[in-house]
Formats: sequence, structure tokens, C-alpha cells
Amino acid sequence: MRNLFPPEDLARDDRFVRVPAEARIEDPRSNGASNPRSARLKPSQRGGPDGARSMMHGIFVGEIQALEGAGRTCWDFEAGSDEYQVPFELKLDMARQCWDESRHVEISIKLSEHMGTEIGEFGESAFLYRAACNPDPILRLTGVNRALEGLAIDVFNSMREFGKIAGDPVLTFCEDWMLADEVTHVKMGSDWLRKITANDPERRTRALEFQRVVDKLFSFNGLRGDDEDSPVRLARRFRELAGFDDEEIDAIAADALEAKNETASVESVGASA
Amino acid sequence: MADPKKPRAAFAPWDRRQLPGSFDVEESARRVGNYKWIEMRLFEVLGGWVATVPELDVKMRLGSHCYHHAWHAELWHKRLPELREMNPERLTEPPNDEMVAFVDAMTEPEAAEQTIEKLVGVYRVLIPHKIAAYTYHRNNTSEITDAPTIRSIDFILQDEYADWRDGEMMLQSIITTPEEVDRAAARQAELEKLMVKAGGITGPGTIGDPYDIPEQ
Repeated sequence: MRNLFPPEDLARDDRFVRVPAEARIEDPRSNGASNPRSARLKPSQRGGPDGARSMMHGIFVGEIQALEGAGRTCWDFEAGSDEYQVPFELKLDMARQCWDESRHVEISIKLSEHMGTEIGEFGESAFLYRAACNPDPILRLTGVNRALEGLAIDVFNSMREFGKIAGDPVLTFCEDWMLADEVTHVKMGSDWLRKITANDPERRTRALEFQRVVDKLFSFNGLRGDDEDSPVRLARRFRELAGFDDEEIDAIAADALEAKNETASVESVGASA
Repeated sequence: MADPKKPRAAFAPWDRRQLPGSFDVEESARRVGNYKWIEMRLFEVLGGWVATVPELDVKMRLGSHCYHHAWHAELWHKRLPELREMNPERLTEPPNDEMVAFVDAMTEPEAAEQTIEKLVGVYRVLIPHKIAAYTYHRNNTSEITDAPTIRSIDFILQDEYADWRDGEMMLQSIITTPEEVDRAAARQAELEKLMVKAGGITGPGTIGDPYDIPEQ
């Protein structure tokens, strides 16, 4: 089996529908006219339940890709201390993450059924796994475990809140458990980044730049934000637990706000045209 | 209650553990190094295969099993310094080149259509051999001096039996035609021949020699 398995080749059964990231984001059931992206996800909102189901499907396919990404890190890099090797203990962490992500896939399937959706009802883009293809292990770890798993913290926290508002104890219970795992995964990324780059500030800077690129890509045109009304709200407290400092969280919030403003400006130009 | 000052046997009547064992510290460390090496190769390939199998239940199961074998590797990694090997990497090695050839062949399949070949290699060849090697070690090492190794093997064997059953059931659910039976059998034979050449997980003598009859 080769190293660096490309996103195009991710193996799926016939139920799955692969779509570009833009198509997934622009799916009207997710955040279109019936569910404006400026609004917090609420059951009472028109299109709210559809938006929640769409988000749950996104979580489901995201968990599959997170599982695949962690698994590939076990395979792609030998244990060792060279630049393109990783410490033995980091590989063990990635194997542990595989188990966690497998459970998250299981939970997501059960929750999807619980919420009345099914596998393949929404499209899947391979955007998350793409970040797990970086050939530099520390950039990959930073992109996945700090940027994407950090996003997962925000998403799970938002879904947990949605479950509370909807009076759905099953959803709230499951999201709370997955949130605990995600904090662990992000902390793994934070700890390994500091440890491996302790004597290599240049590499740490490159890794953090890559993380910021991934974070910007996944600000979802402003879907994520620091406002109480953001559909996916930055979960500051949980990010702190996972090793983010205030400055880093503020930077993500600023990027998200910028993305939101850009999107609003593009949409207003489109509307006036 | 009996008089607490009354002398009791140091080994209770139900404790029949014996002092002698077949392995000295050096031999035990060598075997443990081989165990760590094969557990690493196994968790790595299970993780790598997750992205390549389309069957959703298999994909998730490989992710769970990946961690089991990583944990086994960690147990052996921690055991090596206790066996006077202060550089665990030195003994983290295959028993011979034939074992490397086996692992290379076992990890070669990648295509989405090769789930049978992937699963057969792990669950019908490698894991049965691991169970054999661990069982031999458990039953032949000193039950008193090497108790920490026995404790790890006991935990590991629980995983191995459960994973073996999971893997076999996945295979039985995927193999549905005579042609697929032939594919699975051919794959098993191919890999079993390589394993025989290697002599087992720790090389020749992995499970002792039944033809070595002790003199009366």
C-alpha cells in the first residue's frame, strides 16, 4: 500500500455522494434562504430542523474522514526523530484517535437516524481529509488536530446547544461525549506541536501558518463566528482546555468575522445586480 | 475468624504457580521486542487501510482494532526497559527477513476491491499466529519471575480473541460466492507459506518444538 493516499480515492459504498466543498456549503437545506447563515441554529427557525440534519450528516462524513486521516498518519510516517518521521508515542495517539473517531462515526449514524436523516441524503466533500494529506507530519497534525478538530469543538458545542434548546436529551448527551473526545484530540495537537517544534521555531511558524490557512478555509463564509447568533459559535472555554491561548482564539474570531463580512458584501453586490 | 497470628502457607493451597520458566531475561526481551515490532506493523496497516475499504462497518472496525494493537505495542515498549533493554528501539525488530517478507506481502493490498485479501491476511493468518505465540509464552515463562509479562499477555489475548472473532465474522459476511471462497483460501495459503518460512512471530521456536522429547 502506498503512502499519501489521495482524497479522490477515499473508498465509499454506493450511498455516498461526493460533491465539491462549495456545493456542500451552498446546499439550500443547510444554510440557504430558509436558514440564513447569520442566524444561530434553532429548532423553531424556519428550516432549522433541516439545517440540523444537514449539520449532523456533515459531522458523520467529517468523522469518517477524521478516522481515515488519523489512520493514514499511523501508516504514512515511520517512528523516529527525522523530519519526516514521528515519535512512537505520537503514532500511539493517532491510533487512539482512530478508535475515538470510529466511535464518533457510530454515534453519528445513530444520531442521524434519530434525527430522521440517512446516509447519502446530503453530499460529502473531501475537504477535511484533504488537510490530512500534508506530507509534513507536523503540518498535518496542526492542520487536522488544531484547525479541524478545533472546528469540531465549535460544531459539537453548537449541536449540544441545539439539543438543549430542542429538548432532545439524546442529542445533547451524545454531543457532550464527542465534545470531550475532541478537546482531547485538539490537546494532543497542541502538545505535540509544542514538543516537536520546541527547538525549531521556523517549523512551528510554518505549522501555525498552515493551521491558519485551514482555519480560514473552514470558516464557512462566516458560518462560524464569535457572536452569540453565529450558527457555529466559537467555543472559547473548550478551546482553552485544548491548549489554545486567547490570542489564538481572537485570531480565529477575527478571520471568521472577515469571512462573514466578505460574504455579506458579495451577497449585497449580487442582490443589487 | 481464625487466630491472625497462626502461621499460614506462603503459597495458598490453590496457588500452584511454579518458579521455573523456559525463558531467561534475555530471551524474554528478544521475544517482547518481536512482539512490539509486529504489533506496530499491524496497527499501522489497519490505520492505513481504513481509507481504502468501502464497507462502512469494516472501516469502523479497523479503526477500533488499530488502537488495540497500538496499545499492545505500548505495553511491550514499556516492558523492554524492565527486561534490561534500556533502548527499546534496539530490540524492536523482526525475528528475521522472512517475517519482513510476510509483513510486506500482508500490507500490499490497497484497492477498494481487496477487502477480502486485507482481512484474510490479518484475521486468518497473522492474528492466529499471534495468539499461538502469546499463548506459548504465557504457558512457558516463569509464573512468578515473569508475572508482569504474563499480565500483559492476558490483557492482550483478550483483545486478540475478540478481534479474531470480529475479523472472522466480517470475512464470513463478505465471502458469499465460491469464487470468493477460493480467493480467500488462495490468499491465506500464500501468506501462510511466508509465515512458515519465518517460523512464526518470534522466528523458529515461536511455539516450541513438539518433536523435542525430553530424555527420561
